[in-house]
Amino acid sequence: MLPWYQWLILGLVPPLIFILYFLKLRRVPLEVPSTYLWTKTVEDLHVNSIWQKLRKNLLLLLQLIAVSLLMLTCLRPGCEGTKLAGDRFIFVVDQSASMSATDTEKGVSRLEEAKEQIYGLLRDMKSTDAAMVISFSDRAVVQQSYTTNKELLRRKIKLIQQTQRGSDINEALTAASGLANPGRTSDKTSERDVQVADALAATLFIFSDGQVKEVPKFIFGNLSAEYRPVGTLIGRPDNLGITAFAINSQLESDSQIQVFARLLNSGDEDKTANIALYVNDELQDARQVEIPGRGDKDIAGGNSVPLNFDLTQFATELESAVPIRLEIEDKDVYMQDNVAYTVLNPARMATILVVSDYNKYLEYAFNTSFIEKVATIQFEDRDYLKDEEYLKSAALGMYDLVVYDQCQPETMPSCNTVFWGDVPLVEGWAVKEEVETTPIVDLNNNHSVMFGVQLGTVNILQSNILDAPKGSVVLVESVNGPVMTIGPRGGFEDLVIGFPLMQYEDDGDVSNNTDWQNIWSFPLFVQNVVMNLAVKSSVGNSKNQTPGDLVKIRTQIPYPEIDVLNPASSKTSLKIRSDNSFVYSDAQTSGIYSVSEKGESNAEQMFAVNLMDRQESNLEVRDELSLGYEELEQTIQTEPSRRDFWTAILLAALVVLTIEWYIYNRRVFI
Amino acid sequence: MSNASTKQSDQEPLLSPSLLAQLERMELVSRKIFRGRMKGERRSRRKGQSVEFADFRNYVAGDDLRFIDWNMYARLDKLFLKLYLEEEDLHFYTLVDSSPSMKFGNPTKFHYAKQLAGALGYIGLCRADRIKIEPLDGAKTNSAPVLRGRTSLPRMIEYLNQMQCDSNATLTEAVKAFCLRNTGKGILVIITDLMDKSGYEEALKYLVARDLDIYLIHVLSQEEIEPDIQGDLKLVDCEDQDIAEISVSQRLIDRYKSTLATFIEQARDFSSKRGIVYTMTSTERSVERLVSRYLRQRGLVR
Repeated sequence: MLPWYQWLILGLVPPLIFILYFLKLRRVPLEVPSTYLWTKTVEDLHVNSIWQKLRKNLLLLLQLIAVSLLMLTCLRPGCEGTKLAGDRFIFVVDQSASMSATDTEKGVSRLEEAKEQIYGLLRDMKSTDAAMVISFSDRAVVQQSYTTNKELLRRKIKLIQQTQRGSDINEALTAASGLANPGRTSDKTSERDVQVADALAATLFIFSDGQVKEVPKFIFGNLSAEYRPVGTLIGRPDNLGITAFAINSQLESDSQIQVFARLLNSGDEDKTANIALYVNDELQDARQVEIPGRGDKDIAGGNSVPLNFDLTQFATELESAVPIRLEIEDKDVYMQDNVAYTVLNPARMATILVVSDYNKYLEYAFNTSFIEKVATIQFEDRDYLKDEEYLKSAALGMYDLVVYDQCQPETMPSCNTVFWGDVPLVEGWAVKEEVETTPIVDLNNNHSVMFGVQLGTVNILQSNILDAPKGSVVLVESVNGPVMTIGPRGGFEDLVIGFPLMQYEDDGDVSNNTDWQNIWSFPLFVQNVVMNLAVKSSVGNSKNQTPGDLVKIRTQIPYPEIDVLNPASSKTSLKIRSDNSFVYSDAQTSGIYSVSEKGESNAEQMFAVNLMDRQESNLEVRDELSLGYEELEQTIQTEPSRRDFWTAILLAALVVLTIEWYIYNRRVFI
Repeated sequence: MSNASTKQSDQEPLLSPSLLAQLERMELVSRKIFRGRMKGERRSRRKGQSVEFADFRNYVAGDDLRFIDWNMYARLDKLFLKLYLEEEDLHFYTLVDSSPSMKFGNPTKFHYAKQLAGALGYIGLCRADRIKIEPLDGAKTNSAPVLRGRTSLPRMIEYLNQMQCDSNATLTEAVKAFCLRNTGKGILVIITDLMDKSGYEEALKYLVARDLDIYLIHVLSQEEIEPDIQGDLKLVDCEDQDIAEISVSQRLIDRYKSTLATFIEQARDFSSKRGIVYTMTSTERSVERLVSRYLRQRGLVR
């Protein structure tokens, strides 16, 4: 506050202006013919006392207002407000698909609501406070690193776009904790281990609907986190969504084409959904489906109902890929999951070449009725590897899978391979050692090739211990090391099994090397190999992609360049890569993408992009967020503070002065 | 108030040849018929010698035999005398306000007044009237020449040119002095800006008492009608150094204009009540236009 004498000086200013105004010190003398009329005029004006004059003297009034405002500024007026506790803030904004739900009070999307909330926090920030902005969907983007420039922050926040992706906050948390919890030097046991930078404690604000993937291991350290739920916290918003949509394989089901879908009701009430199925953009089927709500029961995610459509009539006339769209025609707050896409591709049998010297076990395993439905199998002996026809077919990629039983080709074919008892002649693959009677200790049943395969009781007489290139996955591990490994080769995969099924002695004797073929897991393994390494690659891209995924495209004929047309009808040209494939990185929105040779308009193939995420379709806003070892509840940590108005008043004073100046100079009204 | 331009426009000759040519066709008109002193071109109430017949009367001994109507005598056998209208001259006075306030305007009001006096004077000279132009300087002696006949034009111009505008007499004093000096009847034109703080009413009353045919020409400069001034000013009266402090505002200007309008209205009222013909003019209005149009409308010239 000001001392008394300053108050006095301040108080003297308006009377001074007042007095000066009447003294009129600066007057320009001007000779006139007669002051007669002027005196009369001025007398008229003076008749009505001084106050009369003041009443209409706009300039004096404006000057007094300006001075009063300036004085008011000196008083530093303010009111009780709140300011954010702390001086460094991190705003983490969820931009996943569920944030597009419009269940907020204002009817705007949750993302817009979150932005509004952040703008409010920006206002509460002190001018010296720094903040950074991170947005996340299934990946995180640092929109703005630490800055004290609020306008910049506001602009960057405004730029955050709605995505159609899932939610994974992990990456965002890692980015946020980077400065707060700086890393240490590598050798933690050393005495000289020091922190590489000073920890900068910060407050983390998470704006989300809480539907994020679990973050099991995360330590906040110097971060203090606050969770700001966005969306309706009271009850669960009504939402119907499609959480699955797929076509069965025609080959497996005797040319029957069936479309499967799963509808989810994440609200409390029972709902009737109007469903429409479009094939090639023409309405094919429409149904009404009852989907029970959650009611009082706490069913995680909500109730779902399966649904299937029969499209067998398309099987005969199917020549090229056909887009299929399923729509829930009822509007709700979250429209992203109301439509799903898939592509019906013409059926094509996989082609498999098995090169072996009359290995009867392989023949049996590959000749099951199931495999016959999905693939044509060609058995050849080892000499076939030198055959012209083989070399040509292998180079052109005519096979989907080649099985080499105890042999190795000089050049690798353009397809997936399985090596039995031998390794490919490719850098990285090698036989580390040859061992005898090695017991199996570990199986990787997570891999699709090993799905359901048991080798617990299998004996192996002789085996190679494998050395595999980078990126390989060990499927079976023995006491001595890996005996079955799958490794990448460009766009293909090579499955290498260290132990052959049979031993061929020099004298022509043939004996079993293992008893694996005697148990049921062997044909299952072969079937897995066929389905995953041959059939999967022949079906191509019919599998669903999610928005934001990298899509690998392989064409029937290796064109040098292709065009990809996205659902918004904009084209992207892609060049072929060394492994005869294309990578499309721009599948940001769900819909049907069609691929054609560059310059051609006929789609060579199509692929569908769908989110179909149960978590995103569940619009229930969590009132607490469990991240790492902490439970974040909805909290607002503010401390009382002064909210100053002096800048605004000073601005007003300047405006008044400007008006006064304008009026004085332009004589608008005086 | 630019003195340079004032001087420049004051250098112009008082009466241009074209104006003179225009004026020659005009005639001063009096609403009253006065007795002139000399024979002139105007009909008089008096009978006398002219070509215009007026009346008959019986012959009495001593009458001029030349005027006897012999035709009448032949028919009636009585002697009648034919009477003719006498033509007389007209006394035409012009009073020019020569107070310092007349120095303002572009051209100055004084120059304008002299031009006007010259123009009206020339009309009179052409009609053989008796012309007298006097400055309103309150002089006790009669210094102004009496002019008659077209040949007096150079004298009149010379006299007008040497006329100064530095009188410090009030309007009333000056008019009073004029009335004491001159007794003749006739037409009187007074050219003034009426800017006299003691008032113009007294002065006009003196003139009205003299049974003259009075025309008041009120000359104002443009700066008095539409003042173009700004800011906080100290106005100094050029005559009595009186000071008026003003802060110019639109409101003040409006107020001034309404005061001026009232002032003019009062002057017009005062004049018309006393049979004085009032004409207000601005120095912007050319003398030709004023004479040929406005004064003709007012009936001063024909």
